[in-house]
Amino acid sequence: MNSDLDTVVSRLESLGIMLEKIPFLQDGYWIQKTKFSVGATAEYLLGLYSIQEAAAQIPATLFTELKNRIVLDSCASPGGKTVHLANLMSNTGVIFALEIKERKMFALTNQLERCHVKNSAVYNLDAREASKLNIKFDCALLDVPCSGNPTIDREWFNKRTSEDIHRNARRQRQILTEAVKVTKDDGEIVYATCSLEPEENEFNIDWAITALNLKVEPIYCHGQKGLTNIFGKQLDPTIKNCKRIWPENTQGFFVCKLKKQAAS
Amino acid sequence: MQTQKTGGILMKEINDFVAQFNATLILDESQIVKNRNRYYLLSKNLKQQIPKGFFYAGEYLGAVKGTSFFPSFILLAKIAQTKANKIMVDKKTSWLFICGRDIFRQGIVKENNPKKGDHTLVINEKNECLGFGKIMLNLRGVPDSKEVAVKNILDLGDFLRREKRQPRRKQRSN
Repeated sequence: MNSDLDTVVSRLESLGIMLEKIPFLQDGYWIQKTKFSVGATAEYLLGLYSIQEAAAQIPATLFTELKNRIVLDSCASPGGKTVHLANLMSNTGVIFALEIKERKMFALTNQLERCHVKNSAVYNLDAREASKLNIKFDCALLDVPCSGNPTIDREWFNKRTSEDIHRNARRQRQILTEAVKVTKDDGEIVYATCSLEPEENEFNIDWAITALNLKVEPIYCHGQKGLTNIFGKQLDPTIKNCKRIWPENTQGFFVCKLKKQAAS
Repeated sequence: MQTQKTGGILMKEINDFVAQFNATLILDESQIVKNRNRYYLLSKNLKQQIPKGFFYAGEYLGAVKGTSFFPSFILLAKIAQTKANKIMVDKKTSWLFICGRDIFRQGIVKENNPKKGDHTLVINEKNECLGFGKIMLNLRGVPDSKEVAVKNILDLGDFLRREKRQPRRKQRSN
Protein backbone atom coordinates (compact mmCIF):
# COMPACT_ATOMS: atom_id res chain seq x y z
CA MET A 1 0.00 0.00 0.00
CA ASN A 2 1.22 3.54 -0.76
CA SER A 3 4.57 2.43 -2.17
CA ASP A 4 5.94 -0.07 -4.65
CA LEU A 5 6.83 -3.51 -3.41
CA ASP A 6 10.56 -3.42 -4.25
CA THR A 7 11.01 -0.18 -2.34
CA VAL A 8 9.29 -1.57 0.75
CA VAL A 9 11.31 -4.78 0.61
CA SER A 10 14.61 -2.94 0.30
CA ARG A 11 13.67 -0.57 3.14
CA LEU A 12 12.86 -3.47 5.42
CA GLU A 13 16.04 -5.31 4.46
CA SER A 14 18.04 -2.18 5.21
CA LEU A 15 16.64 -2.36 8.75
CA GLY A 16 18.13 -5.84 9.09
CA ILE A 17 14.85 -7.70 8.59
CA MET A 18 15.32 -10.95 6.67
CA LEU A 19 12.45 -11.64 4.28
CA GLU A 20 11.55 -14.66 2.21
CA LYS A 21 9.16 -14.44 -0.71
CA ILE A 22 6.05 -16.55 -0.22
CA PRO A 23 6.01 -18.65 -3.40
CA PHE A 24 2.23 -18.83 -3.71
CA LEU A 25 1.52 -15.12 -3.20
CA GLN A 26 2.24 -12.25 -5.53
CA ASP A 27 3.04 -9.68 -2.84
CA GLY A 28 3.58 -11.68 0.35
CA TYR A 29 6.78 -12.22 2.32
CA TRP A 30 7.57 -14.28 5.36
CA ILE A 31 9.63 -12.62 8.07
CA GLN A 32 12.59 -14.97 8.52
CA LYS A 33 14.47 -12.99 11.11
CA THR A 34 14.03 -9.68 12.84
CA LYS A 35 15.40 -8.20 16.04
CA PHE A 36 12.32 -6.08 16.66
CA SER A 37 8.60 -6.09 16.05
CA VAL A 38 7.70 -5.55 12.40
CA GLY A 39 4.48 -4.03 13.69
CA ALA A 40 6.35 -1.06 15.11
CA THR A 41 8.59 0.17 12.30
CA ALA A 42 8.20 3.61 10.75
CA GLU A 43 7.39 1.85 7.47
CA TYR A 44 4.54 -0.05 9.09
CA LEU A 45 3.17 3.05 10.79
CA LEU A 46 3.36 4.88 7.46
CA GLY A 47 1.10 2.21 5.98
CA LEU A 48 3.69 0.90 3.51
CA TYR A 49 2.90 -2.71 4.39
CA SER A 50 0.55 -4.77 6.50
CA ILE A 51 0.97 -7.92 8.53
CA GLN A 52 -1.24 -10.85 7.74
CA GLU A 53 -0.96 -14.61 7.97
CA ALA A 54 0.02 -16.11 4.59
CA ALA A 55 -3.13 -18.15 3.90
CA ALA A 56 -5.31 -15.20 4.90
CA GLN A 57 -3.76 -13.22 2.05
CA ILE A 58 -5.35 -15.51 -0.53
CA PRO A 59 -9.10 -14.67 -0.44
CA ALA A 60 -8.95 -11.05 -1.65
CA THR A 61 -6.89 -12.10 -4.68
CA LEU A 62 -9.52 -14.52 -6.00
CA PHE A 63 -12.00 -12.06 -7.48
CA THR A 64 -11.90 -11.81 -11.26
CA GLU A 65 -11.94 -8.00 -11.28
CA LEU A 66 -11.99 -5.55 -8.39
CA LYS A 67 -11.23 -2.13 -9.79
CA ASN A 68 -14.24 0.21 -9.77
CA ARG A 69 -16.42 -2.51 -8.24
CA ILE A 70 -18.80 -2.35 -5.31
CA VAL A 71 -17.45 -4.82 -2.80
CA LEU A 72 -18.85 -6.18 0.44
CA ASP A 73 -16.40 -7.15 3.17
CA SER A 74 -18.83 -8.77 5.50
CA CYS A 75 -16.87 -9.48 8.69
CA ALA A 76 -14.16 -6.91 8.32
CA SER A 77 -12.31 -6.39 11.59
CA PRO A 78 -9.37 -6.15 12.19
CA GLY A 79 -9.19 -4.89 8.60
CA GLY A 80 -6.30 -6.82 7.06
CA LYS A 81 -8.43 -8.03 4.17
CA THR A 82 -10.17 -4.66 3.81
CA VAL A 83 -6.81 -2.97 3.30
CA HIS A 84 -5.76 -5.76 0.93
CA LEU A 85 -8.95 -5.24 -1.11
CA ALA A 86 -8.38 -1.46 -1.22
CA ASN A 87 -4.86 -2.08 -2.46
CA LEU A 88 -6.03 -4.48 -5.18
CA MET A 89 -8.72 -1.95 -6.14
CA SER A 90 -6.16 0.89 -6.24
CA ASN A 91 -8.58 2.81 -4.03
CA THR A 92 -11.26 2.81 -6.77
CA GLY A 93 -14.86 1.64 -6.40
CA VAL A 94 -16.32 1.23 -2.92
CA ILE A 95 -15.73 -1.28 -0.14
CA PHE A 96 -18.54 -1.66 2.35
CA ALA A 97 -16.88 -3.08 5.44
CA LEU A 98 -19.23 -4.50 8.07
CA GLU A 99 -18.36 -5.38 11.62
CA ILE A 100 -20.89 -6.51 14.18
CA LYS A 101 -18.85 -5.82 17.32
CA GLU A 102 -18.44 -2.18 18.22
CA ARG A 103 -15.30 -2.85 20.25
CA LYS A 104 -13.65 -4.25 17.10
CA MET A 105 -14.38 -1.14 15.03
CA PHE A 106 -11.40 0.65 16.51
CA ALA A 107 -8.82 -1.81 15.14
CA LEU A 108 -10.51 -1.74 11.75
CA THR A 109 -10.60 2.04 11.38
CA ASN A 110 -7.07 2.36 12.77
CA GLN A 111 -5.86 0.12 9.92
CA LEU A 112 -7.75 2.15 7.34
CA GLU A 113 -6.26 5.42 8.57
CA ARG A 114 -2.75 3.94 8.83
CA CYS A 115 -2.90 2.63 5.25
CA HIS A 116 -4.59 5.78 3.85
CA VAL A 117 -7.51 3.78 2.45
CA LYS A 118 -9.84 6.12 0.56
CA ASN A 119 -12.57 3.91 -0.84
CA SER A 120 -14.16 2.27 2.18
CA ALA A 121 -17.28 2.86 4.23
CA VAL A 122 -17.45 1.06 7.56
CA TYR A 123 -20.72 0.10 9.24
CA ASN A 124 -21.29 -1.32 12.69
CA LEU A 125 -23.63 -3.92 11.26
CA ASP A 126 -24.22 -7.65 11.44
CA ALA A 127 -23.33 -9.34 8.13
CA ARG A 128 -26.68 -11.12 8.42
CA GLU A 129 -28.35 -7.72 8.02
CA ALA A 130 -26.33 -6.47 5.03
CA SER A 131 -29.54 -5.90 3.05
CA LYS A 132 -30.29 -2.95 5.37
CA LEU A 133 -27.75 -1.01 3.29
CA ASN A 134 -29.93 -1.46 0.23
CA ILE A 135 -26.91 -1.94 -2.05
CA LYS A 136 -26.28 -4.54 -4.72
CA PHE A 137 -22.68 -5.73 -4.69
CA ASP A 138 -20.47 -6.93 -7.52
CA CYS A 139 -18.30 -8.92 -5.15
CA ALA A 140 -18.61 -10.15 -1.58
CA LEU A 141 -15.80 -11.33 0.65
CA LEU A 142 -17.09 -13.53 3.44
CA ASP A 143 -14.28 -14.14 5.87
CA VAL A 144 -16.76 -15.63 8.26
CA PRO A 145 -16.40 -16.10 12.02
CA CYS A 146 -15.31 -19.69 12.57
CA SER A 147 -14.02 -22.16 15.11
CA GLY A 148 -10.40 -21.53 14.19
CA ASN A 149 -7.88 -24.33 14.26
CA PRO A 150 -5.20 -25.70 16.58
CA THR A 151 -2.34 -24.10 14.65
CA ILE A 152 -3.47 -20.63 15.65
CA ASP A 153 -4.81 -21.52 19.08
CA ARG A 154 -2.95 -23.96 21.31
CA GLU A 155 -5.93 -24.21 23.62
CA TRP A 156 -8.21 -25.11 20.75
CA PHE A 157 -8.88 -28.71 21.84
CA ASN A 158 -9.69 -27.60 25.38
CA LYS A 159 -11.95 -24.76 24.29
CA ARG A 160 -13.96 -26.05 21.36
CA THR A 161 -16.97 -28.34 21.46
CA SER A 162 -18.88 -29.90 18.61
CA GLU A 163 -21.78 -27.63 19.54
CA ASP A 164 -19.50 -24.59 18.85
CA ILE A 165 -18.78 -25.95 15.41
CA HIS A 166 -22.46 -26.53 14.60
CA ARG A 167 -23.39 -23.10 15.95
CA ASN A 168 -20.72 -21.45 13.80
CA ALA A 169 -21.83 -23.46 10.77
CA ARG A 170 -25.41 -22.23 11.22
CA ARG A 171 -24.25 -18.63 11.51
CA GLN A 172 -22.04 -19.03 8.42
CA ARG A 173 -25.05 -20.27 6.41
CA GLN A 174 -27.01 -17.22 7.54
CA ILE A 175 -24.19 -14.92 6.40
CA LEU A 176 -23.98 -16.75 3.07
CA THR A 177 -27.75 -16.45 2.60
CA GLU A 178 -27.66 -12.71 3.22
CA ALA A 179 -24.64 -12.27 0.93
CA VAL A 180 -26.49 -13.98 -1.90
CA LYS A 181 -29.44 -11.68 -1.31
CA VAL A 182 -27.30 -8.53 -1.71
CA THR A 183 -25.02 -9.71 -4.54
CA LYS A 184 -25.82 -8.94 -8.16
CA ASP A 185 -26.62 -11.78 -10.55
CA ASP A 186 -23.32 -13.19 -11.81
CA GLY A 187 -21.61 -11.52 -8.86
CA GLU A 188 -18.78 -13.32 -7.08
CA ILE A 189 -18.67 -14.42 -3.47
CA VAL A 190 -15.42 -15.54 -1.87
CA TYR A 191 -16.05 -17.64 1.23
CA ALA A 192 -13.18 -18.26 3.65
CA THR A 193 -12.65 -19.71 7.10
CA CYS A 194 -9.59 -20.49 9.19
CA SER A 195 -11.36 -23.64 10.34
CA LEU A 196 -10.61 -27.16 9.17
CA GLU A 197 -14.00 -28.51 10.20
CA PRO A 198 -16.00 -29.87 7.21
CA GLU A 199 -19.24 -28.57 8.78
CA GLU A 200 -17.94 -25.01 8.40
CA ASN A 201 -16.48 -25.62 4.96
CA GLU A 202 -17.44 -28.31 2.43
CA PHE A 203 -20.77 -29.13 4.08
CA ASN A 204 -21.77 -25.46 4.06
CA ILE A 205 -20.79 -25.09 0.41
CA ASP A 206 -22.64 -28.30 -0.52
CA TRP A 207 -25.70 -26.84 1.18
CA ALA A 208 -25.24 -23.46 -0.59
CA ILE A 209 -25.05 -25.08 -4.04
CA THR A 210 -28.53 -26.48 -3.59
CA ALA A 211 -30.22 -24.02 -1.25
CA LEU A 212 -28.79 -20.80 -2.71
CA ASN A 213 -28.22 -21.87 -6.31
CA LEU A 214 -24.53 -21.00 -6.17
CA LYS A 215 -21.88 -22.34 -8.51
CA VAL A 216 -18.40 -23.20 -7.25
CA GLU A 217 -15.85 -21.64 -9.58
CA PRO A 218 -12.37 -23.07 -10.14
CA ILE A 219 -9.66 -21.10 -8.36
CA TYR A 220 -5.95 -21.26 -8.95
CA CYS A 221 -4.17 -20.75 -5.66
CA HIS A 222 -2.23 -22.58 -2.97
CA GLY A 223 -4.00 -25.51 -1.34
CA GLN A 224 -5.48 -28.90 -2.01
CA LYS A 225 -8.83 -29.80 -3.54
CA GLY A 226 -11.89 -29.56 -1.35
CA LEU A 227 -13.10 -32.86 0.02
CA THR A 228 -16.07 -34.41 -1.79
CA ASN A 229 -16.55 -37.47 0.36
CA ILE A 230 -16.63 -36.83 4.08
CA PHE A 231 -17.84 -39.12 6.87
CA GLY A 232 -19.24 -41.40 4.15
CA LYS A 233 -21.32 -38.64 2.65
CA GLN A 234 -20.88 -37.85 -1.04
CA LEU A 235 -20.93 -34.10 -1.75
CA ASP A 236 -21.40 -32.14 -4.97
CA PRO A 237 -18.41 -32.92 -7.22
CA THR A 238 -17.74 -29.21 -7.92
CA ILE A 239 -16.63 -28.85 -4.30
CA LYS A 240 -13.27 -30.09 -5.50
CA ASN A 241 -12.90 -26.54 -6.85
CA CYS A 242 -12.63 -25.29 -3.26
CA LYS A 243 -9.20 -25.15 -1.64
CA ARG A 244 -8.37 -26.69 1.68
CA ILE A 245 -5.06 -25.44 3.03
CA TRP A 246 -3.66 -27.89 5.52
CA PRO A 247 -1.41 -26.36 8.17
CA GLU A 248 2.16 -26.66 7.03
CA ASN A 249 3.80 -23.36 6.17
CA THR A 250 0.54 -21.58 6.94
CA GLN A 251 -2.35 -21.88 9.31
CA GLY A 252 -5.22 -24.19 8.39
CA PHE A 253 -7.58 -22.48 5.96
CA PHE A 254 -10.45 -23.08 3.58
CA VAL A 255 -11.42 -20.85 0.67
CA CYS A 256 -13.66 -20.99 -2.36
CA LYS A 257 -15.18 -18.73 -5.00
CA LEU A 258 -18.92 -18.92 -5.58
CA LYS A 259 -20.88 -17.39 -8.40
CA LYS A 260 -24.42 -16.22 -8.01
CA GLN A 261 -26.42 -17.52 -10.92
CA ALA A 262 -29.19 -15.44 -12.41
CA ALA A 263 -32.59 -16.76 -11.37
CA SER A 264 -34.04 -18.61 -14.35
CA MET B 1 -25.75 8.50 14.66
CA GLN B 2 -25.98 11.60 12.52
CA THR B 3 -24.43 12.25 9.18
CA GLN B 4 -24.64 15.79 8.00
CA LYS B 5 -23.13 18.37 5.72
CA THR B 6 -20.72 20.60 7.51
CA GLY B 7 -21.39 24.00 6.01
CA GLY B 8 -18.46 26.34 6.55
CA ILE B 9 -17.77 25.36 10.14
CA LEU B 10 -15.46 22.46 9.49
CA MET B 11 -13.44 24.26 6.87
CA LYS B 12 -12.82 26.93 9.45
CA GLU B 13 -11.59 24.31 11.89
CA ILE B 14 -9.38 22.69 9.27
CA ASN B 15 -8.21 26.00 7.88
CA ASP B 16 -7.38 27.26 11.36
CA PHE B 17 -5.42 24.12 12.03
CA VAL B 18 -3.58 24.28 8.69
CA ALA B 19 -2.82 27.98 9.21
CA GLN B 20 -0.73 27.07 12.25
CA PHE B 21 1.76 25.63 9.75
CA ASN B 22 1.69 28.83 7.63
CA ALA B 23 -0.02 26.85 4.88
CA THR B 24 -3.26 26.70 2.93
CA LEU B 25 -4.94 23.45 2.02
CA ILE B 26 -7.56 23.33 -0.68
CA LEU B 27 -10.20 20.70 -0.09
CA ASP B 28 -13.58 20.38 -1.76
CA GLU B 29 -15.84 21.35 1.11
CA SER B 30 -18.87 19.81 -0.53
CA GLN B 31 -17.19 16.43 -0.18
CA ILE B 32 -16.52 16.76 3.54
CA VAL B 33 -18.96 15.02 5.83
CA LYS B 34 -19.32 15.18 9.58
CA ASN B 35 -20.25 12.07 11.51
CA ARG B 36 -20.57 12.59 15.26
CA ASN B 37 -17.46 14.65 16.05
CA ARG B 38 -15.38 13.19 13.22
CA TYR B 39 -14.78 14.55 9.73
CA TYR B 40 -14.30 12.64 6.51
CA LEU B 41 -13.37 13.57 2.97
CA LEU B 42 -15.35 11.45 0.53
CA SER B 43 -14.75 10.96 -3.17
CA LYS B 44 -17.75 11.84 -5.35
CA ASN B 45 -18.28 8.16 -6.04
CA LEU B 46 -18.27 7.29 -2.36
CA LYS B 47 -20.52 10.17 -1.42
CA GLN B 48 -23.11 9.15 -4.00
CA GLN B 49 -23.14 5.52 -3.00
CA ILE B 50 -22.92 5.23 0.75
CA PRO B 51 -26.04 5.27 2.88
CA LYS B 52 -26.28 7.17 6.13
CA GLY B 53 -25.22 5.65 9.41
CA PHE B 54 -21.61 4.87 8.57
CA PHE B 55 -19.01 4.61 11.30
CA TYR B 56 -16.04 5.62 9.14
CA ALA B 57 -15.79 6.51 5.45
CA GLY B 58 -13.34 7.75 2.85
CA GLU B 59 -10.41 9.69 4.22
CA TYR B 60 -10.60 10.48 7.90
CA LEU B 61 -9.49 14.08 8.45
CA GLY B 62 -9.75 14.54 12.17
CA ALA B 63 -12.04 15.09 15.11
CA VAL B 64 -13.17 18.00 17.21
CA LYS B 65 -13.16 17.49 20.97
CA GLY B 66 -14.34 20.52 22.86
CA THR B 67 -12.64 23.45 21.19
CA SER B 68 -9.65 21.49 19.92
CA PHE B 69 -9.15 19.92 16.53
CA PHE B 70 -7.28 16.60 16.48
CA PRO B 71 -5.93 15.88 12.98
CA SER B 72 -5.58 12.47 11.40
CA PHE B 73 -2.33 11.34 9.83
CA ILE B 74 -4.12 11.46 6.49
CA LEU B 75 -4.70 15.19 6.95
CA LEU B 76 -1.11 15.75 8.07
CA ALA B 77 0.15 13.95 4.94
CA LYS B 78 -2.02 16.26 2.83
CA ILE B 79 -0.64 19.35 4.58
CA ALA B 80 2.88 18.00 4.03
CA GLN B 81 2.28 18.25 0.28
CA THR B 82 1.87 22.04 0.60
CA LYS B 83 4.44 24.70 1.45
CA ALA B 84 3.79 24.23 5.15
CA ASN B 85 6.38 24.65 7.91
CA LYS B 86 8.48 21.52 7.82
CA ILE B 87 11.58 20.22 9.43
CA MET B 88 13.40 17.25 8.00
CA VAL B 89 15.07 15.05 10.58
CA ASP B 90 17.77 12.40 10.36
CA LYS B 91 17.13 8.67 10.71
CA LYS B 92 17.86 8.40 14.42
CA THR B 93 15.78 11.46 15.24
CA SER B 94 12.91 10.11 13.10
CA TRP B 95 12.84 6.99 15.21
CA LEU B 96 13.07 8.86 18.52
CA PHE B 97 10.27 11.19 17.39
CA ILE B 98 8.02 8.24 16.54
CA CYS B 99 8.77 6.93 20.02
CA GLY B 100 7.30 10.14 21.42
CA ARG B 101 10.50 12.13 22.01
CA ASP B 102 11.07 15.82 21.38
CA ILE B 103 13.59 16.97 18.78
CA PHE B 104 16.94 18.68 19.34
CA ARG B 105 18.63 20.97 16.83
CA GLN B 106 21.34 18.44 15.99
CA GLY B 107 18.77 16.01 14.56
CA ILE B 108 17.36 18.51 12.07
CA VAL B 109 18.91 18.19 8.61
CA LYS B 110 16.73 20.71 6.78
CA GLU B 111 14.11 23.30 7.67
CA ASN B 112 12.25 26.09 5.92
CA ASN B 113 12.85 28.59 8.72
CA PRO B 114 9.77 28.19 10.86
CA LYS B 115 9.69 30.64 13.75
CA LYS B 116 9.60 30.02 17.46
CA GLY B 117 6.02 29.32 18.52
CA ASP B 118 4.96 28.02 15.08
CA HIS B 119 3.69 24.54 14.46
CA THR B 120 5.77 22.44 12.11
CA LEU B 121 5.38 19.12 10.37
CA VAL B 122 8.17 16.65 11.01
CA ILE B 123 9.29 14.71 7.96
CA ASN B 124 11.94 12.05 7.46
CA GLU B 125 14.63 12.07 4.79
CA LYS B 126 12.21 10.37 2.39
CA ASN B 127 9.76 13.27 2.74
CA GLU B 128 7.25 11.19 4.68
CA CYS B 129 5.27 12.94 7.38
CA LEU B 130 5.91 11.51 10.84
CA GLY B 131 3.74 13.93 12.80
CA PHE B 132 3.96 17.49 14.02
CA GLY B 133 5.29 19.60 16.83
CA LYS B 134 5.82 23.11 18.11
CA ILE B 135 8.99 25.10 17.48
CA MET B 136 10.51 25.97 20.83
CA LEU B 137 13.43 28.12 19.66
CA ASN B 138 14.59 29.89 16.54
CA LEU B 139 16.29 27.15 14.57
CA ARG B 140 18.84 29.20 12.73
CA GLY B 141 21.92 30.26 14.65
CA VAL B 142 21.67 27.72 17.46
CA PRO B 143 23.43 24.68 16.00
CA ASP B 144 24.31 22.86 19.22
CA SER B 145 21.65 23.98 21.64
CA LYS B 146 20.86 21.44 24.32
CA GLU B 147 17.34 22.78 24.60
CA VAL B 148 14.41 21.10 22.91
CA ALA B 149 14.00 22.58 19.41
CA VAL B 150 10.66 21.00 18.51
CA LYS B 151 8.20 19.74 21.07
CA ASN B 152 6.43 16.58 19.97
CA ILE B 153 2.66 17.05 19.75
CA LEU B 154 1.63 14.06 17.64
CA ASP B 155 3.68 11.31 16.02
CA LEU B 156 2.99 8.08 14.14
CA GLY B 157 3.64 5.99 17.23
CA ASP B 158 0.18 7.13 18.27
CA PHE B 159 -1.24 4.26 16.18
CA LEU B 160 0.33 1.85 18.68
CA ARG B 161 -0.41 3.93 21.77
CA ARG B 162 -4.08 4.17 20.80
CA GLU B 163 -4.35 0.40 20.78
CA LYS B 164 -2.83 0.20 24.23
CA ARG B 165 -5.34 2.74 25.46
CA GLN B 166 -8.20 0.52 24.34
CA PRO B 167 -9.67 -1.66 27.09
CA ARG B 168 -8.58 -5.24 26.57
CA ARG B 169 -10.99 -8.13 26.61
CA LYS B 170 -10.34 -11.81 26.52
CA GLN B 171 -11.34 -12.95 23.06
CA ARG B 172 -12.07 -16.26 21.45
CA SER B 173 -9.99 -17.14 18.46
CA ASN B 174 -12.76 -16.70 15.91
